[in-house]
Amino acid sequence: MKPDEGRFGELLDHHFSDALHHGPPARVIGIGAATTLMVALVLMIGSLLTREAREPEHPPPLRLDVAEQPMTFESGVFRLSSTELGVAPAALGDSAAHARTLEMYRRIRAYPGAPPRVSHGLTDEEFRTNRCNVCHLRGGYVARFGTYAPVAPHPEFGSCLQCHAVADTLVGIPLPAAGTVESCRQCHVDPDAAAPMFVAHDWVSTEWPGVGRRAMPESPPWIPHDAQLRSNCLACHSGPGAVREIRTDHPERANCMQCHLFAPEDDGEGDVR
Amino acid sequence: MTTPDRRAFLKRMAMAAAAGSAASLMPGIVFGREVAELTERGQELTWRKTPCRFCGVGCGLLVAIQDGRAVAVRGDPDSSVNRGLACVKGYHSVQALYGQDRITRAQIRRDGRLVDVPIDEALDVVAERLRQTVDEYGKDSVAMYGSGQWTIPDGYVASKLFKGGLGTNNLEANARLCMASAVTGFLSTFGLDEPMGCYEDIDNADVFVLWGNNMAEMHPVLFSRMLEQRGQRPHVQIVDLATRTTRTSYAATRSILFTPQSDLAVANAICHEIVRNGWVDRDFVDNHVAFKRGKTDIGFGLSDDFRFVDEASDATWEDYIDFLSDYTPERAANISGVAASDIRWLASIYGDPSLRVTSFWCVGVNQHTRGTWMNNLIYNIHLLVGKIATPGNSPFSLTGQPSACGTVGEVGTLTHKLPHGVVTNPEDRQLAAEIWGVPVENIPSAPTHHTMSMFRAMDRGEIRFMWIQVTNPMVTLPDLNRYREGAEKDGRFIVVSDVYPTPTTEVADVVLPAALWIEREGMFGNSERRTQHFDKMLDPPGDAMSDTWQIIEVARRLGYGDLFPWDEESHIEGIWTEYTRFHDNPGHRMAPLSLLKERPGVMWPFVDGEETKWRFNTALDPAADEERGAFDFYGKPDHRAWIWLRPYEAPPEWPDEEYPFWLDTGRVLEHWHTGSMTRRIPTLHQAVPHAYVEVHPADAEALGIRDGETARLVSRRGSVELQARIDYRGRPPRGKVFVPFFDDSILINELTLDAYCPISAQPDYKKCAVRVERIRS
Repeated sequence: MKPDEGRFGELLDHHFSDALHHGPPARVIGIGAATTLMVALVLMIGSLLTREAREPEHPPPLRLDVAEQPMTFESGVFRLSSTELGVAPAALGDSAAHARTLEMYRRIRAYPGAPPRVSHGLTDEEFRTNRCNVCHLRGGYVARFGTYAPVAPHPEFGSCLQCHAVADTLVGIPLPAAGTVESCRQCHVDPDAAAPMFVAHDWVSTEWPGVGRRAMPESPPWIPHDAQLRSNCLACHSGPGAVREIRTDHPERANCMQCHLFAPEDDGEGDVR
Repeated sequence: MTTPDRRAFLKRMAMAAAAGSAASLMPGIVFGREVAELTERGQELTWRKTPCRFCGVGCGLLVAIQDGRAVAVRGDPDSSVNRGLACVKGYHSVQALYGQDRITRAQIRRDGRLVDVPIDEALDVVAERLRQTVDEYGKDSVAMYGSGQWTIPDGYVASKLFKGGLGTNNLEANARLCMASAVTGFLSTFGLDEPMGCYEDIDNADVFVLWGNNMAEMHPVLFSRMLEQRGQRPHVQIVDLATRTTRTSYAATRSILFTPQSDLAVANAICHEIVRNGWVDRDFVDNHVAFKRGKTDIGFGLSDDFRFVDEASDATWEDYIDFLSDYTPERAANISGVAASDIRWLASIYGDPSLRVTSFWCVGVNQHTRGTWMNNLIYNIHLLVGKIATPGNSPFSLTGQPSACGTVGEVGTLTHKLPHGVVTNPEDRQLAAEIWGVPVENIPSAPTHHTMSMFRAMDRGEIRFMWIQVTNPMVTLPDLNRYREGAEKDGRFIVVSDVYPTPTTEVADVVLPAALWIEREGMFGNSERRTQHFDKMLDPPGDAMSDTWQIIEVARRLGYGDLFPWDEESHIEGIWTEYTRFHDNPGHRMAPLSLLKERPGVMWPFVDGEETKWRFNTALDPAADEERGAFDFYGKPDHRAWIWLRPYEAPPEWPDEEYPFWLDTGRVLEHWHTGSMTRRIPTLHQAVPHAYVEVHPADAEALGIRDGETARLVSRRGSVELQARIDYRGRPPRGKVFVPFFDDSILINELTLDAYCPISAQPDYKKCAVRVERIRS
């Protein structure tokens, strides 16, 4: 891949993803990505120009007064322990603009099981102080990003940026004063701002484990990954901040491994867990 | 990937089960393409253990290998070092194997250009030029410069070839630049290298005092272990004693800033207060401590003809009290900028008998023109209060490289060292001669050049041939312009073994392609005396071969084949078996290779099947003599640890009217040293794509520099232009700037000063004087 081909992509994660996943040849990626970029830019510009008319798609940032406008689907997301599992049913949690998807989940990880990169802007102070748990300890709606914060599955570790890299382009993003445009810039950075790749790269990871695999029809699906640093299943699989495709519809049943077993290692799928 | 539907999946499961059963009955028989592919794929991916390639913490990793490639990483939950956690470098480490500009062919410079040649031809040339240089200029005209990233076998064969075969002590390693002061600190205080404690101190300490050590970025997994302890035991405190505010400061319980070099005064003032308040553990001091005085006003090694040898003379408790009288908290406050009340508070922490205290430090203390002294002074504090060699009470010197301890400290890849002991000791030379099978006369009895002296000798033309492995001195040497020009002079022949092109390969006459990390078998030794083995998991690309085997190939061409009788398949085992003979005593016995292969790592001394976690503690260390009481500092002839009377002395260069800022250099979390590997990892490169200069907001305002603008730094030795960052990753105090050194397009070491600690010969990268200029567009 040529260095400049690493610069496409409107969304922040695209700055990395081209070199990290395997797939079509770089030239094909480049053409496809350039097309995607153009379409995305047109859509974004159109979105901004018609923002007022389409406002409901973006929860208004910094205007949320929780005390006066309680959000029903927030009920329970601030409780985490095994004795406090009152997470809300999944379907109610989607934010139309920013629901997490499996595609995004994978895009911000170098390989299955890798710690995800930070996918949103940080103020300089946040970058220095590592206080990610303010939002990620218990999750909940974050007006600044117009979405729900995923819950950290290992909140006992306080030095988050030790493992979760953040792109230079996402550091030093000031808090939005008001308005959706500034809010967008919390995550959607100038694609030209990203540094080109230092050198081209031949990294290829392995395939992602399949979702929903199980031993028999209708039996509970297997756990397709190991539980290292991810033993709190509900952190990722329940609540409105969870990835849509892997969100459980029965979070009230908290003893997950009562029914869900780890996938057998010789099942021919999902070798990296 | 396409997720199979349920029917297809069940079908494949059934076929796999059938194939497995059939294969067990009739091995080697293929049962159809689909089944074969499925079973083959199931066998392809394996998780293999290895220590991390990067820092000296020595995290255990598990690497997933599939189709001959490394595809994923996770922390090894069985490793007592990291217990399953890693850092951003470790998690992405395997990507460093796959940069498209890997050096895969040997290269020889012809008509000014490096051209590919068969590796045998390059090895022939290396051997021929080495032999010619020895014949023409003498054996001390050739040198080898290695690394704390060398594996233990790399360093061992290098020592055997140069000291035992060629007969020169011109062998050094870049650990001289990062932990030499720690070594001389250990030796001068305890008589033995490497920490007495282990990482379990973290689980037992009540207070951590970090001396100039940004652990949140430099030793992140250990820092996370400390944070975890503070979470579980809320009384635990982390004190960050530093010269700039960093992530560590923000996470610490208390952050205290001091002026560069003034840690000497602060440490002595802490001791002053411990004595004044009666917090001395008299029983411990009376039974286990001796007092020594060394030379003072010892210089900075700035001239080529500088020579220094310290001399210890006996001192008394009264001498020590008299010495400390110069270091009242108020006087130390004047020197350091640390409030006298903070100094008293620090003393109270160390002095409180109910608190277990661990001190951590690394290059902030070691890269210091009085680095050995600072190591001594931290030990002084712990020795005065008897907080040493018991769980949680530990003065703990951390290393920066994965095998600085294992390969440089233990194997002894420094000019004055042997795998056991020093070249000046006849018994140590005799032992080496016996194990190596060489006449003892082969091993010279006098050290030659430490690293700075070696590169100065090359500049002068006394060294004509240098082989550099696993390090990048054309980025890391201080006052870099001088040493690059020296390497480029006519009549110098430079061989570089590396994995990627670097500024050092740019000055090379021959480049040898090296196998990287898990592309070969080896061992590292980490900061806590833990030896960690890793297997060869991947084939190196092209003609690349391990540094060990490169040395053996050249040694055989030079006629030293008898010294390296091992075949390529089993040479690591042969080397380990031979090397461990040097340490076959209760104070340093190493684990057998079979155990190293089995476990994520084993600490030495390994005696009667047990690791020694706290040395010098007679209840825990089999080498310690119980008749000497609770502790036996057996490294010294008097079986005592030595408290040294080491004063504060000013640095050789400090800010003035023309150059009004201190310059501090260092690392960032995301990049490993000169970035030759981590800049090729997309996530890490995107996180910190280039070097920058941290400036205090008030200084920036006074200079008219805004965040993100380009500034120029100028010292008496050079200048660079780079982006200014204000309140970004860290904040220096007013009058100081910080620049990371990973970026080889912004060579900050063209500005640094090549002053060094006269005892350790380790340069000081943490303080010189610069000015900051705004660049107007």
